Amino acid sequence: MATSSEEVLLVLNEVRHLKRDGSLYLMTERLAWQDDGKDVFSVSHFYADIKQQKISPDGSSKIQLQILLHRGNSSKFQFVNHDGPPSQLKDRDAAKELLQQLLPRFRSRANKELEQKNKMLQNDPELFQLYKDLVVSGVMTADQFWDSRKNNNSISKDAGDCPGQGTGVSAAFLSEIQPQADGCNGVKYNLTPDIIEAIFRIYPAVKKKHLENVPNNLSEKEFWTRFFQSQYFHRDRINTGSKDLFTESAKLDEKGMKEEAAKAALNPFLDIQALTDKSLDDGYGAKTDYGRGSADQVNSSIVKRFNLHNTRVLTASENADSTSSSATNALSKLIPNSSLADKDTSHTNHVNNHNGPSTSTSAPSSSKRARLQEAISYKDLKSHSTGMGVSLKLQRTEGYYHGPMPAQAGNMVSPEEILRAVHVVQRDMHEYRSNQSKLPSRQTAASVLSELSPGGALMGGSSQQPMHTLYGNDLQQEISRMYVALSELLRHFWSCFPVSNKTLEEKLLRMNDTLQQFQSKKLIPFKESLARQHLQPNLTDHLDDLLDTAFRKFASWHSKKTGRGLT
Amino acid sequence: MKLDVDGLDVLFPYEFIYPEQFMYMRELKRSLDAKGHCVLEMPSGTGKTISLLSLIVAYLLKHPLELTKLIYCSRTVPELEKVVEELKLLIDYYEQETGEKSNILGLALSSRKNLCIHPEVSREIYGKAVDSKCHSLTASYVREKREKDPSVPVCDFFEKFDGFGRESTLTSGVYNLDDLKDAGKQKGWCPYFLSRYTIGYANIVVYSYHYLLDPKIAELVSKELSKESVVVFDEAHNIDNVCIDSLSVHITRRSLDKACNNIDTLKKKIDRIKDTDAERLKDEYKRLVQGLRDASAARNTDAHLANPVLPDEVLQEAVPGNIRNAEHFLSFLSRLVEYLKVRLRIQHVVSESPASFLKDIYNKVCIERKPLRFCAERLHSLTRTLQLTDIDDLSPVTLVANFATLVSTYTKGFNLIIEPFDDKTPTIINPILHFSCMDASIAVKPIFDRFQSVVITSGTLSPLDMYPKILDFRPVTMASFTMTLARSSICPMICSRGNDQVSITSKFESREDIAVIRNYGNLLVEISCSVPDGVVCFFTSYIYMESIVASWYEQGIIEKIQKNKLLFIETPDAAETSVALHNYHKACENGRGAVLLSVARGKVSEGIDFDHHFGRAVIMFGIPYVYTQSRILKARLEYLRDQFQIRENDFLTFDAMRHAAQCVGRALRGKTDYGIMIFADKRFSRADKRGKLPRWIQEHMKDSLLNLSTDEVVQVSKKFLREMAQPFRREDQLGHSLLTLEQLESVDMKKKLDQTIHHN
Repeated sequence: MATSSEEVLLVLNEVRHLKRDGSLYLMTERLAWQDDGKDVFSVSHFYADIKQQKISPDGSSKIQLQILLHRGNSSKFQFVNHDGPPSQLKDRDAAKELLQQLLPRFRSRANKELEQKNKMLQNDPELFQLYKDLVVSGVMTADQFWDSRKNNNSISKDAGDCPGQGTGVSAAFLSEIQPQADGCNGVKYNLTPDIIEAIFRIYPAVKKKHLENVPNNLSEKEFWTRFFQSQYFHRDRINTGSKDLFTESAKLDEKGMKEEAAKAALNPFLDIQALTDKSLDDGYGAKTDYGRGSADQVNSSIVKRFNLHNTRVLTASENADSTSSSATNALSKLIPNSSLADKDTSHTNHVNNHNGPSTSTSAPSSSKRARLQEAISYKDLKSHSTGMGVSLKLQRTEGYYHGPMPAQAGNMVSPEEILRAVHVVQRDMHEYRSNQSKLPSRQTAASVLSELSPGGALMGGSSQQPMHTLYGNDLQQEISRMYVALSELLRHFWSCFPVSNKTLEEKLLRMNDTLQQFQSKKLIPFKESLARQHLQPNLTDHLDDLLDTAFRKFASWHSKKTGRGLT
Repeated sequence: MKLDVDGLDVLFPYEFIYPEQFMYMRELKRSLDAKGHCVLEMPSGTGKTISLLSLIVAYLLKHPLELTKLIYCSRTVPELEKVVEELKLLIDYYEQETGEKSNILGLALSSRKNLCIHPEVSREIYGKAVDSKCHSLTASYVREKREKDPSVPVCDFFEKFDGFGRESTLTSGVYNLDDLKDAGKQKGWCPYFLSRYTIGYANIVVYSYHYLLDPKIAELVSKELSKESVVVFDEAHNIDNVCIDSLSVHITRRSLDKACNNIDTLKKKIDRIKDTDAERLKDEYKRLVQGLRDASAARNTDAHLANPVLPDEVLQEAVPGNIRNAEHFLSFLSRLVEYLKVRLRIQHVVSESPASFLKDIYNKVCIERKPLRFCAERLHSLTRTLQLTDIDDLSPVTLVANFATLVSTYTKGFNLIIEPFDDKTPTIINPILHFSCMDASIAVKPIFDRFQSVVITSGTLSPLDMYPKILDFRPVTMASFTMTLARSSICPMICSRGNDQVSITSKFESREDIAVIRNYGNLLVEISCSVPDGVVCFFTSYIYMESIVASWYEQGIIEKIQKNKLLFIETPDAAETSVALHNYHKACENGRGAVLLSVARGKVSEGIDFDHHFGRAVIMFGIPYVYTQSRILKARLEYLRDQFQIRENDFLTFDAMRHAAQCVGRALRGKTDYGIMIFADKRFSRADKRGKLPRWIQEHMKDSLLNLSTDEVVQVSKKFLREMAQPFRREDQLGHSLLTLEQLESVDMKKKLDQTIHHN
């Protein structure tokens, strides 16, 4: 415990792991479990590594929490609070809730990394091939592969890291979820993670519901089924008091809309309520029909819904913009977490107060004045020169006042000198005669060339035909792939020399293993397939040479090392 | 630049001028010279306001004896603030050119809600509440009470203003609403009363229509303004409706019930006062014998609303005997209210003239015409005597009293309609008594009579001859100006059919036709796909818009629109609409682009500009005819036909087309701006409709653009947008649609200029 300087968010005592009692720690970055007798964490999982949490069903005798990792393994924690099952349940739920909040953030970070890697692979087909050869075939693990790429691609990574512009949500995203009839009296909705994310961004109420209910009350699928069945999704909703999961959300929305409206301290030129300068009672003036909406509740609620929907879409993209521009961590770009959102709204609140029709503010807002000025100005009636221009900011004023310093007179080259130099060069060129006495005669040159051409005396060792006509395209590609993969591995291998420290030594050992694996898993099968096709096995001679050189080097290093170890 | 407009030196605060601005000034000067009224139509966004201000300020300075004041009326608060800002620009230019401080004093006046700086009162959201609270702190009897009992709260700002503000006046300069508030805060004076006091001697007053047209307010605020003034009604295309509104009243059963309660409260008050302070009631009685007028003179804080009757009709006589006594008056009032209640208890629609109403009320409950006329005044006097502070609560009974005064004063030009239920919900009994003015000239007549020159101006006043008719005045000049353009920056066209060749129209018979609705939708989808930034659509009514949106939703058209742009919709709720508008602006600013669905005659169409990227295309879905089944409208049409010989159809078309023009005209501001105007109804192409559009729009509507299908509309607008995307420099405009001083003064330009003006 002393090892960590991170903030501990939650400590739960009496948690059993692998039949040993201990405490469960939830920290900002990871989850850890400590044996009661020791003072180091025997289990520690970074949230980013956690794929999923699972809980024991309500009726079961043991109150457990299972952590599934991306790698496939899992840890099970049993809650054994001596106060009995209710408090055990409470402990478990506390851990679960916190994890539920924490995991999505880290998941998105993990996703983010994955996304980036994916992008790199897509952009670079060679790399992709290499990845396929090395990782997919099991020569290297993915981590090794990416570790080795890290330094190489640091530049491109940086470029990827710099916050781009957040993308907004299309206003019509809901239309992408077209229901399809599945033939047996049902409809099918196709949801993609993108759409789900969009729904969450636009309708925070749904997101909240999702967090609350999934996975302990409903499964993911059930949740979305209910969503599509709900009145909430169908926008001609009126609160008929029907009991579905989203009735409450609709009410919340209603409230949000009202708040938005109450925040009416907007641009004073757009505030319709403040337009007229009349404060008479209702009874005065002719009553007109235009001011009334229809009696049809459904229609007017659809209109309301659209306004709300589009407002949300707009604010969602604004949030994305503002957070990304503030260059905070990448995860907030994907899911604007609550603190950020809060900050944002408070900020706009502030601005709004400032802009508002200054009922109580002391100074008339300058922004209002600026708006007025803008509204009355006619740009084309003004002359050009009215613009003030940008003021010049100088860090060192002396440079500005003295101007550029004249260069030293001695270094100056006068135009005459340049002209003279040109003349000299021209004359020299004119008088140039090549000295050909050292060159072979034409005949010798021609014969050497012909000897060196395919079919010539000096080319006897190789085949008569050029390589590319001999072998099929597939084979050529295969060979080139082998070369790329091998040279990549060899690059790592050779980069370990001289072996100056422990890590390099470890890497060298690992690379040696990898090369051997390469030889056994890739090269030998390839040779065999060549043999099957009755092709010359000497195609791979050079590859063998390369490997042999590496193995020899390793062997000599190894013997030297063991020798040194012995002495 | 310094212009010479028919011998008058005018300083114009820009280096360049549009030709039509110069012509506008010339016409304006002519009517000022003639001391007459004029109607001037100049395209929106060609700098009408600055031309007006430049000329009139120059005139004020040159002929200080003939013209002393400019009263500039605009419709909305932002508009009047813009005017004051332009005035500031002009006065700054004057000071810069002449090198000395000008002694022009110009200011804006708005309601208490926009000017109050009292820490508590100004926090109120509704204008009515602010007025009422202000009244409870500043009424004369409250302040009298304060002298005896210092614990009575009063408004410090008003006290200070009353103490010193009247002697030391505002220094010359231009004061916008915020400047007034600043000045008020600095000196501790109430900005509202400061402004109200200052307009008496200011050179330029900018306020909204109601302060001049609504007699209830005008009598309080604008009574003292000098006759040698020029009154400008800007954005006057809707002035007749403002006039009518200011004299109309409608009473529901709810307001009658409330009025009953009011009367009860008043009765209790009187009883209490009788016990404690009987003198006061006696005083009042004596005063009423002498006459009302002098009693209330110079107490401008007491009255909340003045007599609804016009200044001319000021009652000089004493209050009739039967309502002098406070209790008698109250029983008189309750009789009136009971009578009205009975009248509202009907099953069928009643429509009658004020005369027959008066006859009936005399027969049924023996209420004569004369005491009715004094109702409003008598109630004011009573509230004053009872020293009531919360006038807001009394508004229902005030409404009834005002109605009584109106109905007994005007026998002509008014109509009384009692409807037992709303047409749309015939099962729900909701009786309303409409007392509606049908003659716009009644409210505006005193203004034409009183002031030397009245200027009616707007971007859309076509057909010009309609306004003198319905407002009943004789203008000395009527002119419409065209917009000189170096490139045709407006693209008006008529979309008469969809791609399936089904003609599109909002005609009543076919408006529910699914093909029409689909074609409208497809048009919008196509436009939202090819036009950048903002697209504004106007429908003929809320109900129509809502039903169309609903069927678009079912047909999947909404989704298609949303793929291209965000969608915002105007609703009857003002707060919601403000938020939607705000978001629409944001979406246009950040590049996502948006579509705004809105309603002609709605709040958005009346007061919001969609200049530049906020409105690259405007689509008018259907012809915005007023709801013709309304009985009030029918009565008005009848009246117009009988009195002014205006045919019903002419008026309806005129009204529809002015609103259509108003909607599409909002998209353009200045010559660097550009916009597409789509009239989506085949009826627009008929000559009688098209001919009623403003000339500056008609001129750009080529014959080839009168009968287009959706595809063709999209083709034309794509081509137009490509043209507009070409660089547009000052040199292109110069000498044609933009002039320097030298160019303006050259001889052949004078000839050219004459072509830009059309006299009617």
